Amino acid sequence: MRQVSAITLAWIAVVALLFPILIALGIYMRTVQSGHLAELQSWFYPMMTLHGLGMVGLWFTAPLACVSDALQRHVKPSATVSWLALGGTVAGVLLLLICVFLGRFAAGWYFLYPLPLMGGWPKWSAVLFLVALTILGATWLVWSLDLLRAIAQRYSLSQALAWHYLVGRNEPEVPPLVLIATVSLIVCVAGLIAAVVVVALFYADVFGGIKSDTLLMKNLTFFFGHVLVNLSMYLGAAVTYEALPEYAGRPWKTNRIVALSWNAVLIIVLLAYFHHLYMDFVQPEAVQYIGQIASYVSSIPAAVVTIFGALMLVYRSPMRWGLAPALFLAGLAGWAIGGVGAVIDSTITVNAVLHNTLWVPAHFHTYFLMGLVLLTLAYFYHRTQTGAQPETRASRWMIMALMFVGGYGFLLMFYLAGALSVPRRYALYPPEVAYGASYAAAAAAFAAVFLLGFLLYLRQLWKRRADAATAQT
Amino acid sequence: MRAAHAVIVAWLLSGIACVCSGATPASISRDEARVAERMLPDAELRLADGRLMRLSALWRERPLLLTLFYRHCAGTCMPSLLLIRDAAAGSGGLGRDFRVLALSFADSDTAEDMRAQAASLGLQNDPNWLFAVGRTEDVQRIADALGFWFRRDLATGQYDHPTMLVAVDQGRVVRALLGYPIAAERFRELVWELRGSFVPYYRLPGQSWLRCFEFNGRTGTVRPDWGMLLVLAPGMIAILVAIGLFAYPQRPAAHAASPPVRASETAVR
Repeated sequence: MRQVSAITLAWIAVVALLFPILIALGIYMRTVQSGHLAELQSWFYPMMTLHGLGMVGLWFTAPLACVSDALQRHVKPSATVSWLALGGTVAGVLLLLICVFLGRFAAGWYFLYPLPLMGGWPKWSAVLFLVALTILGATWLVWSLDLLRAIAQRYSLSQALAWHYLVGRNEPEVPPLVLIATVSLIVCVAGLIAAVVVVALFYADVFGGIKSDTLLMKNLTFFFGHVLVNLSMYLGAAVTYEALPEYAGRPWKTNRIVALSWNAVLIIVLLAYFHHLYMDFVQPEAVQYIGQIASYVSSIPAAVVTIFGALMLVYRSPMRWGLAPALFLAGLAGWAIGGVGAVIDSTITVNAVLHNTLWVPAHFHTYFLMGLVLLTLAYFYHRTQTGAQPETRASRWMIMALMFVGGYGFLLMFYLAGALSVPRRYALYPPEVAYGASYAAAAAAFAAVFLLGFLLYLRQLWKRRADAATAQT
Repeated sequence: MRAAHAVIVAWLLSGIACVCSGATPASISRDEARVAERMLPDAELRLADGRLMRLSALWRERPLLLTLFYRHCAGTCMPSLLLIRDAAAGSGGLGRDFRVLALSFADSDTAEDMRAQAASLGLQNDPNWLFAVGRTEDVQRIADALGFWFRRDLATGQYDHPTMLVAVDQGRVVRALLGYPIAAERFRELVWELRGSFVPYYRLPGQSWLRCFEFNGRTGTVRPDWGMLLVLAPGMIAILVAIGLFAYPQRPAAHAASPPVRASETAVR
């Protein structure tokens, strides 16, 4: 196996540092919602903003770093750009920390226009927030373009998108990683361009007094947000295609179905974001239906084909079980479960009931926490175990059990409270939904269990890395 | 070049001045929104023809477009009434769907003044235009209900006041327009709402560029506007960028010469 690069190790360090802090912020929020920590309640919305932005940013960049690492097996991304991406991300995060902790910026990770410019926080914090977004957006755009450039050095566009499989040709062989990365990166560029437009319109308001149309801004913001979150999931799937076969002892190849499904994703994911605007009655009815249909259709190609393919890969294979393949398969299961929750919520008649209830964070936490996070952790673990002894069965089961029980227990509280119409984004629950507090308390406890599992994972990762380093010397 | 820089600087400064002044167009709209759904108090009014009518009797007959003015205004009253006259005539539905009530807030105005005002607008024989005066305390109650203020300048005898047009249905304020001049399209929106039609999309004052949709006050339909191109642009640009990157790749010699890697050739432990 290839040596893990310094940049990948740096990204692992970033995740190891930031993820526990961001989980702690989540536990803090659920604790406040449970009616405790009265003296810290005023920090709820700034911390909600930091938690949301931090998690989305972290779990976009970490799987992208994994894809960048995995792609090096086939193409040659620029090392300079990879380090630039890390530096830009750290710089952006530092600015976010300043505007949240010193400026108490609290517009949420959606930062829907015009709220960032109209909150009770100082104007400089809103401007600093926009600067942070600019740095992050520009950095990630350059990073995405460089990865696309690297793929283009080796493959033509039709090859990278595996179009020749659609007409029955299997040569040249294109790894699924390259296909999925190409689709995801094109979508990523679209999302980041939307972000650039949003930020530019914000600047036009701040510095030019030019007001923007709020519905236009909402469309652009959700286009960017939806695309970013979805493609993060696809990046996690991409590295699964690359790494899981190494444990199953079988190749996982591109075929016509895989090619067709991921090409469909390229179009469908650009249209599904309309489901975020069901409550915006001004949107033409046709657009709302497109949002629902695209939401349904987008789950079939990507998730079903990948999960079915993974099951076929593992079925009756000489599987070498370990923490990495267990996390990969658990991550795919989380993707599927969260996907079902998302499809339910994307149904217009259901959304009319569940909109802005805790069902919404329930479904996206499912496919992020128990899906993408596990896939990324699996890949990190996979890449850092070169030459090391496998972990003990007991430690593997302990890590998996804590993450599984903590994660799904935490999510169940969201789902139950959401089904009971407990609203999201309430720091304190009004008397009508006071029962939401007990779900919040239980969720905080379960999240702490998950955090413990993650810390044990980090300990195991550190031990494995140290073992590998010793073995190499 | 210097001229261009000067224009850019001036534009930025004017923007900052606009932000700092706090007089954003959106704040005007918020003032309008505050008036919506309020109930008007009933009051006895004397019309230009000398009849005494209750305000409630007028709104029961037909919805009203209510504007407040005074006869000897040297400011916006007369131009506003002219605009309303022309817009009402052009929007359709005057008489059938609504009538216009111009109520004087000056306690010195009389029914005679109202007749003169109607005549000056050429509306003295139009039954769908009502000019009226009321008792000082009644007019003040109506003004208070609408958040309408007026102050007499003792030096000039003129009143300081905003310009307001309110759509009233069964005593309830459906919507209000503040400011002068009243744009024809905003007037048409007001009339659509007065007719009971739902207007889903408003152009906010000062936010006239790059909208997603546009409400056509003539047809009552919503159609996509230029801003929708911005929603479509990211996807289009991304695809074009990808085509460009793949069409003109900077292939290094080593990679260009080597055949693509086969998945089956990759290491499977």
